[in-house]
Amino acid sequence: MEYSPILLPVVALVGWTLLVMLWMLVSRMSEFRRMGVSFGNIPAGSRGADLEGRANPSAQWKSHNYNHLMEQPTIFYAIAITLALMGMGSGMNYWLAWGYVGFRVLHSLVQCTVNIVAYRFTLFTLATLCLMAMTLHAGLRVLQDCGILDF
Amino acid sequence: MTYSPVLGPLIALAAWTLVMFVWMYATRIPAMRRAGALDNRIGKGPGHLDSVLPAETQWKAHNYNHLMEQPTLFYAVVLILAMMGDRDHTTLGFAWAYVGLRILHSLIQSTVNVVRYRTIIFALASGCLFLLTIRLTAILVRTSA
Repeated sequence: MEYSPILLPVVALVGWTLLVMLWMLVSRMSEFRRMGVSFGNIPAGSRGADLEGRANPSAQWKSHNYNHLMEQPTIFYAIAITLALMGMGSGMNYWLAWGYVGFRVLHSLVQCTVNIVAYRFTLFTLATLCLMAMTLHAGLRVLQDCGILDF
Repeated sequence: MTYSPVLGPLIALAAWTLVMFVWMYATRIPAMRRAGALDNRIGKGPGHLDSVLPAETQWKAHNYNHLMEQPTLFYAVVLILAMMGDRDHTTLGFAWAYVGLRILHSLIQSTVNVVRYRTIIFALASGCLFLLTIRLTAILVRTSA
């Protein structure tokens, strides 16, 4: 069965997100050990966000990035799957999608380690430009098919 | 038109999320009225209600937000599995297991909210999603080979 190649970067980003989740889990567990937190003494209803300002910031950075990966990438999934369904998931869109995933992986590595905002911002912007181009391609195609644009 | 059975659990989780939406507001609006927070005409930003409403009320909202996090990966994976025409029983089983565990996770977080139980259920659900992602990767790699 043939499939649209753009689905590969989509699955790659899902896989990467699950790896960041594991990274978060490992650093959080070691932070719990250091702070003397165990399942026996966590108050009911506690959340990861309650650790802000108490846990080592670099342990929280993994969690910030994991949450970040559930924000803009949801649009990426929707647009990439839409492009696949429209038969537009190869060529330039395929490479834009890999660009998006590559920049998001670098963005994770920066945020989870040194977390220098200037680098993070640059990588985030580059990823967003890839997503903008993909969205523009899908949008222009729809406008063209509706007869609103003619080129 | 026939469709992949794996879309069943996807619809179920979307529907469950909307049930949580109703549960959240059914408890939140009366709590806001009691706290006098309904008089705010201007939004106070995310997390503000955590300092105003009882924790048990906010737990439903915490879970509703949670359902917009990892499940978005589940939707992407399941949609592509359906596009690939996967009709495997094991895939379907793990997809239903993910949904069942997430419902259980919601019920725990919205009521007793014991972190130990929540973590175990979350880890099991994540394991199901891991296996679904590996399964999808294998299908894509095998198909392109």
